[in-house]
Amino acid sequence: MRVIQKLMYAFILLAISTLIGVGIVKAEGTPSPLQVLINEAHVGDTLHIPAGTYKGPIVIDKPLQLVAESGAGATISNTSNEPALQIKANNVSIIGLTILDETIKKQPAILVQANDVLLDDLQIRTGSFGIIMRKANNGKVLNTTIDWAGVVQDRPLKLSDKGNGIDLYDSHGNYFAGNTISSMHDGIYMENSDRNLIEDNQFELLRYGVHCMYTKGTVIRNNIGNLNITGAMIMAVRDVEVSGNQFTKQSENVNSQGILLFDAHHTIISGNHVEGNRVGLYVEQSTKNKIVDNAVIGNFIGIQLLDAEDNDIQENQFVGNVASAEARNSIGNLLESNYWDSFQGIDTDGDGKSETTYAINPFFQSLVKARPAFQLFFQSPGMVFLEDLYQSDRQSWSTDTSPLMQPSGKLKFVLPTQTLQNSAVVGAGLLIVALYFMYLGVRKR
Amino acid sequence: MIQTVHFAIREVKLGFRNPWAYSFMGLFTLFMLCLLLINAQGYVQGYSGITGTTLNLILYLLPLMSLLLGSFSLTAEREDGSWELLSTYPISTWSFIIGKYIGLSVVLLVIVSIGFGAASILGLAAGSGFGLQTYLQLLTFSTSVALFFLAIALLVGTLAKNRWQALTVGVSIWFFAIIGWPPLLIATLGFLPYPMIKPAVTFLTFLNPAELSRLFTVVKLGGGAILGPEYYEWIKWIKQPAGSIGFIAMAAAWIGTVITAAQLIWERRRSRA
Repeated sequence: MRVIQKLMYAFILLAISTLIGVGIVKAEGTPSPLQVLINEAHVGDTLHIPAGTYKGPIVIDKPLQLVAESGAGATISNTSNEPALQIKANNVSIIGLTILDETIKKQPAILVQANDVLLDDLQIRTGSFGIIMRKANNGKVLNTTIDWAGVVQDRPLKLSDKGNGIDLYDSHGNYFAGNTISSMHDGIYMENSDRNLIEDNQFELLRYGVHCMYTKGTVIRNNIGNLNITGAMIMAVRDVEVSGNQFTKQSENVNSQGILLFDAHHTIISGNHVEGNRVGLYVEQSTKNKIVDNAVIGNFIGIQLLDAEDNDIQENQFVGNVASAEARNSIGNLLESNYWDSFQGIDTDGDGKSETTYAINPFFQSLVKARPAFQLFFQSPGMVFLEDLYQSDRQSWSTDTSPLMQPSGKLKFVLPTQTLQNSAVVGAGLLIVALYFMYLGVRKR
Repeated sequence: MIQTVHFAIREVKLGFRNPWAYSFMGLFTLFMLCLLLINAQGYVQGYSGITGTTLNLILYLLPLMSLLLGSFSLTAEREDGSWELLSTYPISTWSFIIGKYIGLSVVLLVIVSIGFGAASILGLAAGSGFGLQTYLQLLTFSTSVALFFLAIALLVGTLAKNRWQALTVGVSIWFFAIIGWPPLLIATLGFLPYPMIKPAVTFLTFLNPAELSRLFTVVKLGGGAILGPEYYEWIKWIKQPAGSIGFIAMAAAWIGTVITAAQLIWERRRSRA
C-alpha cells in the first residue's frame, strides 16, 4: 500500500515539474525586456541599465555600450543552457553589470566572439566558465570578479566540474587587469593565443592561476596568487615574460608549485616572489630561459630542474627552503650569483661571492624517478647523509659557480606572521614545571 | 600500583642525581639555541627549512640520549647489585619495569622541556623562533621520539649483560634507525619487484619509530605533499584528527609491545636466578 502511495506522489511530482518546465520553455520564447532594448538600439548607442534583474540569455550583435546606472545593482540572471551574455559584434562595452549564471552547463556566463570588446567592473557568478573568448582580439577585461557558484546534486563537487575563469582560444593581444578570480578551474587559460597581457590580477583557490598552452609573447606581470595548486603554469611557450608576481601557499597538492615551466623556451622569469609552496620554481624540459632576481622563500623545494638545459639562473635568493635546489639531468645551465642560505661559502677576495661552488646533488631526484616510493625519505637525516656521500660525476651537476655570501637587499616575507609570544609563554610554563620536577628529584628527604 | 609509583619516584631521584642527565640536558639546550642562531630570518611556521633542520637535529640527538639513559639505568641495577636486593622483596617485575619507564620518561621530558623552554624564551628576546602551532608540533615530535626510544632502551638494558654491551647495542640501533635507514632500505628493497617496494617501505616505516614520528610530524606541519602521489591516501588520512588518534594508538601499541617483551625477559631471568 505504502509503495503505491509513494509511486503516486512521485507521479504527481513528475507531472507538476513537467508542467513547470514547459512554462519556462514558453517564457524563453518571448525575448527578455533587456534583449528588446538591445534589439531596438542603434549602432554605437549607449544603454544605461537601471537597477533590477534582467533575464538571460542576452545576445549583442552590434556595437553598443551597456552601462549599469551608477550605484545600482543591474543583474543579468540566466537559467538557460545558453551563455548569459553573448557578444558577436566588435566594439561592444559592458560596464558595471552583475551576471548570475549558476546552472552547471557547457556554455560560459559570457561568450565573446568579437574584437575590441571591453568588459569592465563586472561581477560574475557562474556554474560553468566565467568568460570564454574565441577569435576575440584586442579586448580588455578589467576590474572584474569571477567566482564559482555552481551546485552539484547528489555527489561531491569535482575540480573538473568547474570551468575556467577566463578561457582564450585563438585570441590575441588582449589585456586583463585588476581582476579577481577565485574557486574556478584555471584562472586565465590561454591556448594558441599570443601577445596577451595579464597584469595586477588576483588568483585564489584555483587549479592554476595563469595557464599558458602554445602561446607566444604572453606577459604575466605583478599578479598575486594564493592557495592554488600552481600559480603560473607555463607550458609549450616561447618568449613569455613572468615578472613581479607573488605566489604563496601552493603546497597542498602533490603537484603544487609556485611557477612551473614545461617545454618553455626563451622566457623571462624575473622579480617574482614565491613563498611557502611545495616547489618554488619548477623547470622541466625547458631551455634558454632567464630566471633572474626572484625571491624563493620557505618552500619545500626552492628550485627543481629536470632535463632543463642552457637556462640562465642568476641573482635569485633561496632562503628558508627545506631543500634549496634539486636537479636531475640538467646540463649547460648558467648558475651565477644566487644566494643559497643552506650553503656556506668562502670568499677569499672580498667581492661578496664565494670562491667555492654550490653544486646541486642529483642523487635524490634520480632515486625517486626510478623508485617513487622512496620519496618518503625526502630530507630525512639518513638521506642527507647519503647525499653527502654521493659525489660521482660531480662536474656534470648543475653548479652555481659564484654563489653570493649574503642575500642581496632586504628579504621580505609576505605570509602572515604570528607572534612569538605565545610559544614563549608555553615555553616558560614548561621550564617552570621542568625545574620543579628537578627540584623534587634532587631535594634531600 | 603503589609499587610502580615508588619505583617511578626512585627513578626520578636517581635520574636527577645522574651527571649524564645534566650533560644531555646541556647538549640538547645548546642545540636548540644553535637553531635560533641559524634561523636569523625571524619567525617560522609550518614545514620549511628551519623546521626540517630542527626535526633532523632532534632525530640525531634525542634517540641516542633516550637509548643511553634508559639502557644504562637497567644495566646499572644489575651491575650495582641493587636488583639482587630488590628481587628478594615481594615486588612484581611489572611494577619495576613500568616504574622505571615512567620515571625515566619524566627525566627525559624534563630535559626536552628545558631545551624547548630556553629556546622559546631566548627566541622571543632575539626575535627568532617558532609560531605556537609549529612549536607545539615539534614538542609533540620530541616527546614521541623520546618515549619510543625509551621503550627500546628498556629492552636493550634487559638484554645487555653490562653497560658496555648496552652502549654498543644502543649506538647500533640509533645508527640503523636514523642514519642507516634510507641506505639500508634502498639497498635491500631495490631487489624487490617494483610493485612491492611501496608496501614494503610502508610496512618497514611502521617498524622504525624515528621515521614514523618524523613523517607524522612532516604531514601535520603541512608538508605531506612533498612525500609524493604514492602516499596520497595516507597523507590525507593523517591530516585529519583521526590521524592523530591513529598515531597515538599506534605509539601506545608499539611501546606496550616492546615494554611487555622487556618485562617477560626480565621476569624469566628473575625466576631462573
